[in-house]
This record gives sequence, structure tokens and C-alpha cells, in this order.
Amino acid sequence: MNADNDIQQMIAEKIGAICRETHLTGQTQPEAVGMMIASGDYPDIIAGGNSTKQLIEAGALIPLDEYWDDYPNLKNFTPDVQKEFLRQPDGHIYVFPQGELYKKDMTVNAAEAFWIQAKVLEWDNYPEIETLDQLFDLLERYTKENPTLEDGTSVIPYTILCYDWYYFCLENPPQFLDGYPNDGCCIVDPDTHKVIDYNTTPTAERYFRILNEQYNKGMIDSEFMTMSRDEYIQKLSTGRVLAMCDQYWNFSDAEKAMISAGMTGNCYVPLGLTIDPGMSEQYFTSTNALSSVDGIGITTSCKDIDGALQYLNDMLDPDIQTLLQWGVEGVDYLVDDEGMFYRTDEMREKAMDPAYKTSHLCSLQLRCGYFGMNLDGKNAAMPSEQPSEFFETLQPEVQRAFEAYGAKTYPDMLDYTFIDATEAPWYPMWTFANGFSTSTEGGMAWKRVADMKHEYLPQVVIAKDFDSAWAEYLEKYNECNPQAYLDELQQEVYRRIKIVTGVDESGN
Amino acid sequence: MKRKKSGQVLAVRRKVSWKLIKRQRELIILMVPFVIYTFIFNYAPLFGWVMAFQNYSPVKGILGSKWIGLDKFKFLFVGNNEFLKVLRNTICMSVINLALSTFCAIAFALLINEMIHRTPKRIVQTISYLPHFLSWIVVCGIVKEVLSVENGVVNELLVFLHIIKEPVNWFTKPKLFWWITAFANVWKETGWNSIIYLSAITAINPELCEAAEIDGAGRLRRIWHIILPGIKPTIIILLIMSIGGILNAGFEMQYLLSNSLVQDVSRTVDIYVLNYGISQNDFSLGTAAGMFKSVVSIVLIFLANATAKAVGEERLF
Repeated sequence: MNADNDIQQMIAEKIGAICRETHLTGQTQPEAVGMMIASGDYPDIIAGGNSTKQLIEAGALIPLDEYWDDYPNLKNFTPDVQKEFLRQPDGHIYVFPQGELYKKDMTVNAAEAFWIQAKVLEWDNYPEIETLDQLFDLLERYTKENPTLEDGTSVIPYTILCYDWYYFCLENPPQFLDGYPNDGCCIVDPDTHKVIDYNTTPTAERYFRILNEQYNKGMIDSEFMTMSRDEYIQKLSTGRVLAMCDQYWNFSDAEKAMISAGMTGNCYVPLGLTIDPGMSEQYFTSTNALSSVDGIGITTSCKDIDGALQYLNDMLDPDIQTLLQWGVEGVDYLVDDEGMFYRTDEMREKAMDPAYKTSHLCSLQLRCGYFGMNLDGKNAAMPSEQPSEFFETLQPEVQRAFEAYGAKTYPDMLDYTFIDATEAPWYPMWTFANGFSTSTEGGMAWKRVADMKHEYLPQVVIAKDFDSAWAEYLEKYNECNPQAYLDELQQEVYRRIKIVTGVDESGN
Repeated sequence: MKRKKSGQVLAVRRKVSWKLIKRQRELIILMVPFVIYTFIFNYAPLFGWVMAFQNYSPVKGILGSKWIGLDKFKFLFVGNNEFLKVLRNTICMSVINLALSTFCAIAFALLINEMIHRTPKRIVQTISYLPHFLSWIVVCGIVKEVLSVENGVVNELLVFLHIIKEPVNWFTKPKLFWWITAFANVWKETGWNSIIYLSAITAINPELCEAAEIDGAGRLRRIWHIILPGIKPTIIILLIMSIGGILNAGFEMQYLLSNSLVQDVSRTVDIYVLNYGISQNDFSLGTAAGMFKSVVSIVLIFLANATAKAVGEERLF
């Protein structure tokens, strides 16, 4: 914990605890967790992300349900349907999700979508863009007239991040283009509850054919296949990349860098593209429970379990939550007569200033927190999600684009879908796929498929002859025994349905 | 002293007696910490090898995990193209690397040796081994920059000379990957590796060269007939030592320069061990692969030594 930080100091005084947080640098998460498990030496509190399952299997976490009766904030933090999902086969619960929805989803940021620079849309007078073809058509016309940035560097019309696990930017759009939400590893038919493999659908073929054509036309970054994530962020930060498909959280750092460099017109606007025009899309979805085992746990290395629990519990206190998200009343935000929070321009600007952020605002991430609404039930949990606030924080170019499309927030640019966990409990399936390990046949197939896709999908894109490259990809794909992991995904769909509805559809 | 057929003189082994031990007690005491060190850090961890024969689970520990015999080894070699490919990559990269770096180091040492003026000789030598002190992450950054599509020196030069029409992304060519790593290694290590050859050259009696010169031998003749035979024992010793490490093709270089398009040719045994052992949590498989590597290395070093002995050359032990 940074001792010079005002709000962190205030919290430390209030709850009498200090949390020293470390993030991974230069090490991927599975590697870091693998090293911890191998050495048996853990931090007190850990957010294991996708590797949480490995931590539980290694016996690294303590069962929280045996302790939480004394910590009401923590116990009530997680809704019951979520608890059922978190419960392990031994009946215990080992982690809390880091975020829980309170009352209503106020999210203003989109997740995965096709993103395009606001100035490109403005250049073409904000056209209606529904399909991938239309996107590339616009990019081509724009690049022809504006081949370089002001400083003379050439623009990159489209790039694709395919480094390590970030290669979802390349491989998972076929599910969106077909109008399905981000299950991340497969499509689940909402009527039949059957798993559909998006790696080989006709839409996937069309999607890669378009990328292939565009690559050979020179519209796609010639270095995309060898670029690391750092290089990708660096490339985006220069403002050269006109469009890409990505998760907002993944590239938001690049956007911040562009804003501080004054390139506000290069900020991105999301587009919910489909393969054919006139289809419905589900890029932006919100759900009330995640069937995942991902979150914060307390490890067996922790010498003061009650202290750690007390810390997490105290951090959920309404005052602290407001302090963490909004800052100090009167300094960082003001309250009007109806109890609504608002900020002046000066406060907003201050909150964007990196120096002020480090010295005053608390960026502590190793904690649980609510999203959606503030615990007062009136305001948004975060200032960035207060609708009145949010629009104000946008760059003028983005504001103009939003106004042209009748949107106030990023999700407004897309269709909003609420997925009720009691009706579609399998969503999102990636929470299961992320836990695959090579100890099962399906997990092994999953790893083989991922390795194969890492190697062949970029080749499909850069191939001179698309048809033979695609045929080779399909052949290699089938060699990986994909049915093994699809079967496990199908069983998981049935298992999740059973947890929530009690009906066993698997037929076993 | 006894004489062997080859004419080599060997010291007769003295019998170890208490008297001898007493006489050398200071030396023995000095040695003790290093023996303990080697035992703790090099031998004790070998206990972990038992994991290769288990279905190891960190919860149950080494004593509680299930024994599965040679299953993990079977997985590596039976019907698993991946590991065989990894093995191929490791060996090929090592051999290319070994051949190229030995050749370059010797050639460089010979060139340096021919320099007459001392100051430029020293400057060249110092500059040449500076890259050795850079970490691989820096070197790989430089390599990526040099070969980059945009403003990379190599591409600019080749386009300028009309050898290629437009910049090529060299890292997407699986056929080139081994050579890229080999040349990166040459760039980094040639200067450093040449030091030992250079010192071997200085040990050659200068009178031999002078005599050859008087007899009319030119520079190339002298190199071929005097200097190269003179450093032959050094070359062979170094080769023997490298052969033991042939499965140590490296890790950082391949890990940092690789990308998904060339993963088929870039993965070495060490990367495989990391992928399965650590990232996928299959400690047993990782251990089995690592163990295989060590065993092969030991066998190779004995073979190389025996070969050297058979042809009557210098050897390690």
C-alpha cells in the first residue's frame, strides 16, 4: 500500500488494516500460480483469476464458509444462486467474487466488440455499420484518403491481437457475428441447450475469408501475428490503428495514453457487427450470477485469517465503498438536495490526472466490491457509471459520435441483453473452459486445439490461397479430437442447469 | 610412473591414507562447504524426480501421490508428436548453434590474433564481448527491432539493394527461426567464446610461426598448419563439454522470440517443461520431460568422452 495516498491512509485509519498489493509483472498468471503451488508459499490474500481452480485443488485456500458467520458484509455480499455456483464438490466455498451486482447494472463500458476510431466515423458522417464487410469498406475508403497521421506515420486500418491467451481477439468473433453472447469457448443453443462449436461454423469460414482478403489487400497489420500484447498496446497508443476487435478492458490503457497525448479523435467507439445485416447481436450482456470459480481467497499461508476476513469485510462497508469509488465528499464529489452525487469539471479533471490518482485516489484492487449501484440505492457505484457523469467524461469526438447514434454510454451503442442466471445458468461458459487442465481428456483436447489454433488461424489469415489454408486448418482441427472437450462443455451446461433448476437434462 | 601404449604419461594413483588426509586437512576443510552446497542444490533436488513416476498432486505430496510407473514417459513418446517435435527442435537448434558459434568464435580469434597493433586489437576485443553481458530480454528486443517489418535495418537494407520487393516479417517463417536464434546467439557470444581460443593461440610457441615465416609460409599457411593444430585440443575439449549440453538449447531466446506461427519449431524441452509442468500444473509430466533431458545429457557426455579417448585426443575425464 502506498503510504503517500490520502484515501488509502483514511481507510487504513478507519479499518485499522493495511493491504500490500502486488501485481504480476512479466510472468503469466498460470506460471505465477504454478510457481506458488510448487513452492507452497502464498500471499495472505490472493485473487487467482483463471488459476483459482488450481489453487483450490492444491489445497492452498481456506474454506470461507466455516468463518463467514462473523462477517455479515462478506456473507451477504454473494447472492445465493452465486454461492451454489461457487460451492466445490466437498461442499465448501473458497473464494468470493471480486465484484457483485447491486440492484441494477449501470455499466457504461462495453466489453468485447469491434472498435473503430471516432474520427473515422465522423469522416464518413456517422454511417450505419452492421456488418464486417461494411466496416472494412469504410476503413478502405478512409485509408485511401488519409493514409498517414499528422506526423507522417502510416495508419494501420485493422490489427488483430493474437498473443498468448489474448488471441480471443482473433478466434472468438464468429460467435458474436452469429448473434450469440460471449460464452467464449462455444455457442450454447438457448432452446435445445446443445453446445455448438464456433470454430468450424460457416460464419467462422466467412469471417476468416474476409480477414484473409483484407490482409492480402494490405488492410491488416502486417505484424499482427508476431506482436506481443505490450507491442499491441504500444501500437494502439500511437493512434495508428483505426479499428480492431477487442475487450474494452484490454485496450483501455492505450486509450488513456492517446487522451493524455491529445489524440482524442482517435478514441474508439464500439460496433456490434454481425455477419449479415439485420441480425440481432449480443455483444453487451449482463447477468446476475457467474458460474465461475474465480475470485478472492485467503490462503493457508495466512497467519491471521480473522484479520484478513475482517479486512475484506470492512472494505465492503457502505462508507468505504463510496470512499473507494467516489472519493472524499466535498473534495472529489458533491451531493445535491436529492442525494445524487455529482462532480464539477475541475473534480473530473483532477480524477483523470495520474499524479492525483496515485497521491489521492485509491486504486486498491485486492478486495471485494459492488458494481451497478451504490449501496445507497440512488447513485451508481462508480462515478464513471453515473449516467450524467459518464457522458461528460467522454472526449468531444466520442460524444459527437454517440449523439449521432443516439447513445449516452458505450453499451447504448450496442444492443443490451440481460441474461438471467435462472433461465440461462450456463452463461458464460468461458468460466468453465478457463479451468480446463490437461488431466482430463477434454482438457487435453482443449489445450491441443488452442495450440493448433494459435498456429493455424494466423496462417489462415495471411495465406495466399485461403481455401487450401482453411482446409488444412479444418483437418488439423479434427486431429485434435475436439469432440472430447465439446462433450465436457455439454456436460457442464447440463450440470449448471441442474444446479439452478434441479432438472437433469443430460440423460445419464 | 607408468607408460601407456599411447605414450601418455599418467600419474599413478596414490593410496588414500590417514596420513595423506591429515596432511591435506586444510584443503579438505576448504572443500567441505562446496561439497555441502553441491549436495543441497544439485543432488538433493533429484529426490523430486520420483514425481515423474507418480500422478503427483501438490495436496497429497510426494509421499501420498499415486504411483503410475512409466505412464508419463509413455505419454511423452508414444503417439505424442508434440514432444518428439520439441526434441527435434532442441537438438537441431543446439547443433546449428554449436557448429555456428564454434566456427565463428575460432574464426574471430584467428582474425584478432592477426592484428598487429595492440590498441585497436584491445578495442575490438572489448567491444566484441560486451554483448555477452546483456540479458537475453535486451538482446531479443534488439533482434526484433533489427528484423522488424517497419524500419527494421535488415528489411530496409534488402529493399534498398532490391533483393526483396517489400519488407518481410521474418518471424513468421518457420524455416528461418532456427537460424535467427543461431545468429542472435553468434552476435551475443562470439566475442566471449573467442577469448578461450585466443588464449590457446597465445600459448603456441611463437618460434614455430617465425620459423614457418622464414620458410616462406604465408598467413593462411601458418594458420592452417601451426595455429589450428595448436588449438585442436582446446577445440575438442570445448566440443565435448558442449555435447553434454546439447539438450540445453536454451529457453529465454526461444521463449522471447517465438510467436504462435512458429511455435512448432521454436519450442524447446525447457519451454515444454514450463508449459506442462508449471502452466498446466502437470508436475509429473514436466519432471519426466526434464529427467529425460538430464539422462540423455549424461549419456551424451560419456559417449563424447569415450570417442575422444578412442581417437587418442584430449578428454575431460
